[in-house]
Amino acid sequence: MKTTSPVGKSVPRIDARQKVAGEATYVFDLKLPGMLVGKMLRSPHAHARIVKIDTSKAEKLPGVRAVVTAEDTPKIKFGSNEFFFPYTVDQFPLEFEKVRYIGDEVAAVAAIDEETAQKALSLIDVHYEILPAVFSSVEAMKPGAPAIHTAMNNIGVMMPTCFGDPDRALKESDYVREDVFYLQSAAHAALEPHVSIGQYELSTDRITLWSSTQAPFKIREAMAKTLKMQEADVRVIKLNVGGGFGGKLEMFPMDFCACLLSKKSGGLPVKMMCNREEVFSFTRRKHPMIYKLKSGVKKDGTVTAITGEVIADGGAYCSYGPTVIAAAIMRFMMVYKFKNIRLFGSRVYTNNPISGAIRGFGGVQSGFAIESHMDMLARGIGMDPVEFRLKNATDPNMTTVNKMILSSNGLKDCIRKAAEISGWKEKYGVKKETAPGVFRGIGIGIAADVMGSKMYKSHESAGSIIKVEEDGSVYLFTGAADTGQGSDTAMAQIAAHELGVAYERVRIKAADTEITPFDTGSFASRVTFISGNATKNAATDAKRQILEVVAQELKLDIQGLDIKDEQVVARESGRALLSFDQAVILCYSFNYGRLIIGRGNYNPKTTPVDFRTGEGNISGSYGFEAQIAEVEVNTKTGQVKVLKMYDVHDIGYPINPASVHGQIEGSIVMGLGYTLYEDLKFKEGRVVNPLFSKYRIPRSTEMIPIESVFIETNDPQGPFGAKGMGEASLLPTAAAIANAIHDAVGIQIKDLPITPQKILAALKDNENKT
Amino acid sequence: MKTVTLDVNGKVFCLDVPDGELLIETLRDRLGFLGTKYSCLEGDCGVCTVLADGKNVLSCLMLTVEAEGRKITTIEGLGQKDLHPIQQAFIDEGAVQCGFCTPGMILASKSLLDAHPSPTQDEVVHALDGNLCRCTGYVRIVNAVLSAARKMKKTP
Repeated sequence: MKTTSPVGKSVPRIDARQKVAGEATYVFDLKLPGMLVGKMLRSPHAHARIVKIDTSKAEKLPGVRAVVTAEDTPKIKFGSNEFFFPYTVDQFPLEFEKVRYIGDEVAAVAAIDEETAQKALSLIDVHYEILPAVFSSVEAMKPGAPAIHTAMNNIGVMMPTCFGDPDRALKESDYVREDVFYLQSAAHAALEPHVSIGQYELSTDRITLWSSTQAPFKIREAMAKTLKMQEADVRVIKLNVGGGFGGKLEMFPMDFCACLLSKKSGGLPVKMMCNREEVFSFTRRKHPMIYKLKSGVKKDGTVTAITGEVIADGGAYCSYGPTVIAAAIMRFMMVYKFKNIRLFGSRVYTNNPISGAIRGFGGVQSGFAIESHMDMLARGIGMDPVEFRLKNATDPNMTTVNKMILSSNGLKDCIRKAAEISGWKEKYGVKKETAPGVFRGIGIGIAADVMGSKMYKSHESAGSIIKVEEDGSVYLFTGAADTGQGSDTAMAQIAAHELGVAYERVRIKAADTEITPFDTGSFASRVTFISGNATKNAATDAKRQILEVVAQELKLDIQGLDIKDEQVVARESGRALLSFDQAVILCYSFNYGRLIIGRGNYNPKTTPVDFRTGEGNISGSYGFEAQIAEVEVNTKTGQVKVLKMYDVHDIGYPINPASVHGQIEGSIVMGLGYTLYEDLKFKEGRVVNPLFSKYRIPRSTEMIPIESVFIETNDPQGPFGAKGMGEASLLPTAAAIANAIHDAVGIQIKDLPITPQKILAALKDNENKT
Repeated sequence: MKTVTLDVNGKVFCLDVPDGELLIETLRDRLGFLGTKYSCLEGDCGVCTVLADGKNVLSCLMLTVEAEGRKITTIEGLGQKDLHPIQQAFIDEGAVQCGFCTPGMILASKSLLDAHPSPTQDEVVHALDGNLCRCTGYVRIVNAVLSAARKMKKTP
């Protein structure tokens, strides 16, 4: 079977056959000759001074090949937003002065088997002097709270934004209200645990790291820096990745230690793998956040001003703190054309585990806060929430107050379409008791998201190389990291379509820092947009090279030639001149001897965020969406049942419609879990539910009907008009459900997750008031 | 140590294994059937699902010695060159994302369809309740199982 012109078609995934046959290899599966088992020694204390580490007993244990502590390292700190935010570089790969959370890494061992490695850990003697710890962001900011780093009041990142005159605008409002929203932590829960294999080549002083990662080039950079090596001497290889969701976006101390232990073990490869409890407890988690909002509105529905505070519990280290705060705050202005806005964002150090990137960054938390708040504002002036949003939503071709350039923008169409397909007009505000004590309701949430964010480096470029071999085979080399979302497939479709060949021709090699071009990684919904453009450019270049030879041979003007559906054609008449295979043979023939190697890169026109003001056009384009939830609330049990979700998404143009729907469905169900029950819980800095039996993620029985519709705005910057869309669908889900609950039973839950207990308590509260 | 005779994917293996060795360890570490993944080793996620005499079992909760005398099928035994209709349906319906749950999910579906060739959507959803997936929201997985059931009925 051949699929020509594959863009816009739901072709099967490029990796699906291997995956259903059990032949897809993950780092999880990888075994190398002589491979040792590596284990991390972690702090049992939330905050303590390291007095002494004695590894001598562990080193003497038979079967132990290496033990490392900070003394074996150059003691160089790393961070995840180093370029623009050097003050957030705060973590040593192995700590030696202090530990700041339960799980902080202080040593590592490599041994011949798991049992020996485990035993060696127990033989390492660490003498700690326990320090007072703080576990809440609000407490940590108070004067006199334990100082976790050197940041004043433990505020590691702050972002003050102020545009217009919010105070005057609030005074001129017809209705003003204040709300506080609380968002819990959550886990990524990717099914493949964090795993890496490090190997040090002693003869050349080079390392290779195989890692289950979303960002191989990012790891390379951090690894080279912290090991004081050249990036050229660090090779990071990604294989199939069993899910990431933001949890595999950084170098972890285990990556660093795998390489260092290998060096100390005489170059034997060292495999480090988290068990499920370690993934939950010691990798990354969602930022718990508090939103204190005060906003005003005119009777006609115009939001006059929005003010408030955003406080994030960042845990022990900064990780992607700046990106999370920026994503949380800037999102307000992507969605609504606010003129007067003052928000103060703080990311606060605590002695909890490290908060980091997770699908949507801070956008999921903001999505719940602002979309719930907007519904309450609408109700305050007696306006329909859909009308209210249409009144305030951003428009195409506008520049927001903080200088984000929204070019294509289908937000209002998304809202209208969602209202239409859900039967909003007939359903909203109509009391419907479907069984005794069971009420039905409908609610809306809207969202916008970036496709890329200039937070990591001065550029955001991605590159692709396409080589066409003599036999007509097409190889695509990209640094883009597919973690299951389907980017390899999308890249292959883009390459084939632009080159004019069948999708099945394309083989993809993705993400080996020594072979594939640079790519910042899979985050910020950037891959389709940025890496997709790079791939399209590489295909254009390869095509031009082929057509040059054909034009010369046939004595035709190259401008009049194209390749379509595996044929070189005359542009105007569409007449086939020769087949793609013949054209390639011609290129390689002895008259020409032209090897076809196309190259492309793409760097979106963006500006970094100014953290003093909140200004910056962080993305080359923006995606939009509206979601409507229909729920049933049982007032006797407090149970909420989501009956159906309607999702309308401005995706620009779908490269692979089935893949896009799959991303939306996955996001919505993930959002459903976060809204109703997912809650990573902590007691004095320790995760208390680090198991799938205690941290519930949605199961098949919790699957809900989803109607998903695309709005095609054909983005002028996007490859074939496409936009990124891996995260946006997660952003409005919680608020859509919370707002639907209000429509059903008249209570607005402002802290997630929305448990039956909270519903029952709120219902009781309501009763007492009336 | 015990000597066990294991039937995996129709091939017979004679092995010396410690009494406490888990089937998942034997399959992956001794026999190299790496298609079977695991995610929690505590019986919570379903990722390590294999078939024992056609019924889905969790290979992280079964001792290798318990598997003696039972026909074990892993994803490699279901189809590699010629795919089983369920595997094909997972491809056609877009039910595969990261793929880590896929082998277990497909084998749990096989167990269901062998016992109930024409399941309702509700029956599919309940049969897969023990198999976690974080990527897909299950929508396309359930569609794939229903589609495979229809195709298998047409071509017995």
